[in-house]
Amino acid sequence: MIRLLKLEYLKNLNYKPFKVFTGLYFLVLIALLFVGLVDFDLFGQKVNLKEQGMYNFPGVWNFTTYIVGLLKIFLGCIIVFSICQEFSNRMFKQNLIDGLSREEFIFSKILTILVFTVISTAVVFTLAFFLGKNYSETQESDLIFKEIYFIFNYFLKLFSFFSFLMFLSILFRKSIFVFLGFFMFWFAEKILIGIETFSIQHNVTELEKAKVLNAKTFYTDYLPLESMSNLIPNPLIRTNMAKLLGMQFKFEYPTGSVVACLIWSAIFITGSYYILKRKDW
Amino acid sequence: MEKILEVKNLTKKFKQIAVNNISFDVEKGNVYGLLGPNGSGKSTTFGMLLSTINPTSGSWKWFGKEGTDTDTLKRIGAIIEQPNFYPYLSAEKNLQIVATIKGVQYPRIDQVLETVNLLGRKKDAFSSYSLGMKQRLAIASALLANPEVLILDEPTNGLDPEGIIQIRDIINSIAKSGTTIIVASHLLDEIEKICSHVIVLKHGTAIYSGSVDAMSNTKGFFELKSDDLNNLISVLNDMNIFTSVKEKDQLVIAQISQDISASELNKKLFDEGIFLSHLMKKKESLETQFLELVKQSNS
Repeated sequence: MIRLLKLEYLKNLNYKPFKVFTGLYFLVLIALLFVGLVDFDLFGQKVNLKEQGMYNFPGVWNFTTYIVGLLKIFLGCIIVFSICQEFSNRMFKQNLIDGLSREEFIFSKILTILVFTVISTAVVFTLAFFLGKNYSETQESDLIFKEIYFIFNYFLKLFSFFSFLMFLSILFRKSIFVFLGFFMFWFAEKILIGIETFSIQHNVTELEKAKVLNAKTFYTDYLPLESMSNLIPNPLIRTNMAKLLGMQFKFEYPTGSVVACLIWSAIFITGSYYILKRKDW
Repeated sequence: MEKILEVKNLTKKFKQIAVNNISFDVEKGNVYGLLGPNGSGKSTTFGMLLSTINPTSGSWKWFGKEGTDTDTLKRIGAIIEQPNFYPYLSAEKNLQIVATIKGVQYPRIDQVLETVNLLGRKKDAFSSYSLGMKQRLAIASALLANPEVLILDEPTNGLDPEGIIQIRDIINSIAKSGTTIIVASHLLDEIEKICSHVIVLKHGTAIYSGSVDAMSNTKGFFELKSDDLNNLISVLNDMNIFTSVKEKDQLVIAQISQDISASELNKKLFDEGIFLSHLMKKKESLETQFLELVKQSNS
């Protein structure tokens, strides 16, 4: 394992764009966590996320992980480029000939993903904790860690997302096709969701609609991107503004999505291995 | 003789058959040439033996062990088609990656760079290298783990004459150290200079496998010249030791059927009153033998 980490270190950290963009990612990530401290204009109204309760325990875990979760595509690009260049420079083939097995290759890429995911999660955890300690209206100890599971969900969200991108990178081997493929997949998921929602709704009366939509399980909820996004709900509804409007925040731990994400990650990793094994290089 | 590699009935089908049922053995300490025109299946064969291409059928043994695993690959040094390295990394960093994969200590890097005369440029990015330097770095990388076998696929492709000579010198000195070498090329001249054994491929089929000397069963030929060519030809015909005697470009070419040394022939002709201005005993070049083989396999 140390050997594979060293290999990834040699391949990536001597690559300038890789270093620069990774640095930028973490800078932007940290800056974004402090977004609650600044005022900004939204439709002519002054909005301050701190005053909206962004840093209050236990909601702070939800707010922070959701906001920095939007940045994951940034890190995803770095991972896609790093994997695709192995193929465009014919280095995967060369690595094989030099004596690296296909299993070791996949494992080294998973290690890179894990390193990124762990560091990103650790940064978010530390800063969210720090911000909560400093700015939260409550400091009750049982509230502080009440929703700490969002940190785990953030970790899983990143890991399964990057596994998906790794799979696409190995499938298409050219970064431009990876992004095209990704967006096609995203559209396809949205269309399927639309079809399912419509098919459930269309023979239900207006009155029952809300009830049915809440009670019914959607199969499309378990599609890869959708289950990843269900891990961390949009916290807009938890803002003080939303509370004033009478909206209630209800959230059940998304066990189904967690399981779906774990299964998808396993599928993407085995799928990647299968492609490497079957194709002639 | 210890067998390094035994290939049995190896076949690869893409859309068409690329390698058709080839079998050959590689013995320790020899230099083998894999000969054949472009597209005859040389690189595909190497690809299968190096585990990058899945064979359709057939089997092989490296060092007596079935197939190719990563431990086997660490005992092999290989250069395929073109030098592959991370373009943005220096030669040194690239070799560190190879060393990490193969489990070689870093001090060895400077040694191999010295062998291919690149030590002075080790800090420069691979992308800044000339083609000759890239090819030499590839050889350095292949030598890193002190391989028992060296596989070279078109090692002089695209190089200038000086680069070709440099690579040939390096290969020769490696061969002298007792390393088994398998080199693929379509440059017959190249193979002839360095190989002791050849495997000739054509459309994926091995049409010959054996030593270079045994490739052709002819005993060679004489090139002769004298002032009276007609007299020379009739005398040679009367000797009955040549399969054919022909005139070509002011020279008489006599194909040998019964072996005779040049001095003996000279003495006999002298006794007949013929004085030669040119006498040379020659073997067919690999090129002629190769073309002959290809012609035979066509008919």
